[in-house]
Amino acid sequence: MDMLYNILIDPFVQMVDAPDFLIQVVWEGFVAGVLYALIALGFVLIYKASGVFNFAQGIMVVFAGLSLVGLHQKGVPAWLALILAIGIMAILAVCIEKFVMRPLVGQPDIILLMATIGMTYFLIGLGEVIFGGEPKQMITSELGLPTGSTAFEMGERGLVILQHIDIAAAVIALLMVGGLAVFFNRTRIGRALRAVADDHTAALSVGISLNQIWAIVWFAAGIVALATGIMWGARSDVSFALEIVALKALPVLILGGFTSIPGAIIGGLIIGIGEKVGEIYWGGLVGGGIESWLAYVIALVFLLFRPQGLFGEKIIERI
Amino acid sequence: MFYREAGQYKTTYAADQQIFPIRQDRIGIGVILVLALLLPLVASEFMLSAIAIPFLILALATIGLNILTGYAGQLSLGTGAFMGVGAYSCYKLVTIFPEVNVIVHILLSGVFAAAAGVVFGLPSLRIKGLYLAVTTLAAQFFLEWCFIRISWLYNYNASGAIEVPGREFFGTLVTGPAAGGISRYYVVLAIVVVMTLLIKNLIRGRIGRQWMMIRDMDIAAELMGVRPLVAKLSAFAVSSYVCGVAGAMFVFFYLGAAEPAVFSITLSFQVLFMAIIGGLGSLVGSFFGAAFIWILPILMRVGLPALGVDIAAETVFQVAQMVIGALIIFFLIVEPHGLARLWAIGKEKLRVWPFPYA
Amino acid sequence: MNVLVKPAGMQPDGETAPGEVLLRIDSVSLSFGGVRAITNISFDIIKGEVRAIIGPNGAGKTSMLNVINGFYHPQEGTITWRGKVRRKMKPYEAASHGIARTFQNVALFKGMTTLDNIMTGRGLKMHSGFLWQCLRVGPALREEIEHRRKVEEIIDFLEIQAIRKTPVGRLPYGLQKRVELARALAMEPELLLLDEPMAGMNLEEKEDMSRFILDVNQQFGTTIALIEHDMGVVMDLSDRVVVLDYGRKIADGPPEEVQANQDVIDAYLGVSH
Repeated sequence: MDMLYNILIDPFVQMVDAPDFLIQVVWEGFVAGVLYALIALGFVLIYKASGVFNFAQGIMVVFAGLSLVGLHQKGVPAWLALILAIGIMAILAVCIEKFVMRPLVGQPDIILLMATIGMTYFLIGLGEVIFGGEPKQMITSELGLPTGSTAFEMGERGLVILQHIDIAAAVIALLMVGGLAVFFNRTRIGRALRAVADDHTAALSVGISLNQIWAIVWFAAGIVALATGIMWGARSDVSFALEIVALKALPVLILGGFTSIPGAIIGGLIIGIGEKVGEIYWGGLVGGGIESWLAYVIALVFLLFRPQGLFGEKIIERI
Repeated sequence: MFYREAGQYKTTYAADQQIFPIRQDRIGIGVILVLALLLPLVASEFMLSAIAIPFLILALATIGLNILTGYAGQLSLGTGAFMGVGAYSCYKLVTIFPEVNVIVHILLSGVFAAAAGVVFGLPSLRIKGLYLAVTTLAAQFFLEWCFIRISWLYNYNASGAIEVPGREFFGTLVTGPAAGGISRYYVVLAIVVVMTLLIKNLIRGRIGRQWMMIRDMDIAAELMGVRPLVAKLSAFAVSSYVCGVAGAMFVFFYLGAAEPAVFSITLSFQVLFMAIIGGLGSLVGSFFGAAFIWILPILMRVGLPALGVDIAAETVFQVAQMVIGALIIFFLIVEPHGLARLWAIGKEKLRVWPFPYA
Repeated sequence: MNVLVKPAGMQPDGETAPGEVLLRIDSVSLSFGGVRAITNISFDIIKGEVRAIIGPNGAGKTSMLNVINGFYHPQEGTITWRGKVRRKMKPYEAASHGIARTFQNVALFKGMTTLDNIMTGRGLKMHSGFLWQCLRVGPALREEIEHRRKVEEIIDFLEIQAIRKTPVGRLPYGLQKRVELARALAMEPELLLLDEPMAGMNLEEKEDMSRFILDVNQQFGTTIALIEHDMGVVMDLSDRVVVLDYGRKIADGPPEEVQANQDVIDAYLGVSH
């Protein structure tokens, strides 16, 4: 009975007793969710345009963050470092398109997935050789990002503290999603991109350059990665540990669907909030640290009931 | 010229269905086995302990993964965790029943890994492809968490690590810090060879064909009477069993002590790379892949300084990682079916030599 | 679950004599979401006959096979198999009832050789246990060899000896179709469903395939239900023809009769309204 009480009732009692704490927890989860969503966004971009599940998105985030910080440490001013980091992501995109995507066009999905895992390995090695393996501090204030915090009083019930950088992260994520939506739906390249996503060969036959589109998409994913890297780096450090965290984009995508940008956002928020709340209110029952796997289990349970994802249509199998 | 099957007539189906129908192959495998047996005569302790033993164990783990991913077509990113289950169960068994032979424990520990594999394989009945990767990731992170949090698993050691006690096999010390490389090598070699043979038999029989049916065309397989439940879960069970045994051996015959970080996702990826580079769906490829990924960094560490390149040890590791990453992409582009396919093509070319085609 | 357990020919009481009804479809309807694929269709298949199912594209022919196969479950209607009403069942159970099929788009196991592909058809008839198979001695080895012999008979019958050890992915399309037939035959089915066995073949290959189908029917006494677009083939091969259009049955009878049916002609050529 005690057990059941601890699982089913006590956490909710705690939530009601200390709403300020609950709000704080949900906010933390929300911000983590925004960052998951940003990583997932990078995945979705590439998946939409080339059907590739880009395992390397996580390391691209690390790589982008490291380039920025690394350049700054070498004495480059922050604004120039930012521009150079964008340049590096562009070069990376072109290289990936030229040396990985182009030779592998038309291969089964699983082969492409494995190629991106190979890419991950390569980039980890490269990043460590160039920048060293130790974690680095993000140059938050140098980039002009807010660093303070605001406390909101909740009457008698305590107070909630919001970090400005977190608010900035949410705003930037929102702008990015908006920008991508416009890019996808309102521009010529966006239309070409959707055509490529539907059918490579058909897109080629109406004169769309696959190579160009793919380079652009990888570049866009690189920009998203850079933004993610800055935001994430500002909250913790820029380190290769992030690469494991980025795997959480996978459950996010499963909730939201591999091709849906709003899905990535909603999935990210569900996972982010779900795992924070789960860790704080239930994690203690089993010794804590359940954040490392809760996201996957949430996605797993979800999949068992809806194998097609949150927004997917029911799959009719055909032969 | 010397690799030609002309004149080797098969008069029974049994002769036609043997593992190596071509005589030269039988001679070849015999020579390799003899060389493997003679290796300790020439090899240094370092070569046995740091190269040969881990290579054999990782090859076995790769075979385990290959059963699931290469033969049954279910992508797994949780190999490391399943190896961990084997290692931790073996440790518990050895400490709870110290009087039972350690080899028995090693073989039994796979059963626990198989059970874990079946539990995490259950979702595969509804989930396919990439979605399944999430299931195995859940297994990876959940089990890793168990290894850290459940202190009963490591007998409440302050270090949080498992340390292998010394155990004897036929009067010779085979585990623990005092065991010599040669005795450990022979035990590992024996287990790996026997298990490879059993798995080869399994794969070319009814069960193996069922796995491949599910892999190649699951709907057609089901309409031909294959129960997806049985086929998929048996693949998960056998695969995890093999991985579990490999994990137990990894700790007991190679590392000597292990903390949970050993069985992290890095190990899962390492084994996956071995399977990819070697060739998915090939047992001989598993050995090629394990040799490649395990030995290449060692060769670089030993070789680069010898060539006069002066670099730090950790840089070598990082460069090796880059090289492996690049090679994986290279292989996927040039030959997506890995070293095993290159090997097969080579043999086919030899068979018709000096002509380019048969 | 009220499913039949024994494969064909194993149960004396369930045996269907030639000339009797093997399978009866009674007012079956099937829909996906709001889309009706099959509307109130009834027909039967008599033991020993070659039954053709024809109709324009999208008429619901393949869906019909999928229903017979147990792959789709109709919302309405009943299916009577060898005198017993069949309940909703899993696709793999149809195979153990003695129903085998080939597919419209070749569904061979691409990673395996011709021989292994055909051996998969024997799977249901092999029973040796896990450990025996690991060791590959005793029953496992005996079984493997005994079924290999059976498979070699089929290989001889379909004249594909030369490609025995070739991975099926490398075979030309016509041969792949033939291997698929071999795989279905290896199951020794009571009812063989062929989904467009001659699609995409040239004349010569069609002639070969027609001969094989007739041989299977006459030598093994296998009942065959086939979907085909080539009218010449249908008229020559089949004993009775059922015609579907937009998920409804519009005609049923011997080939000559169906050929003369006004509804059928309209369905194929279109009518001016």
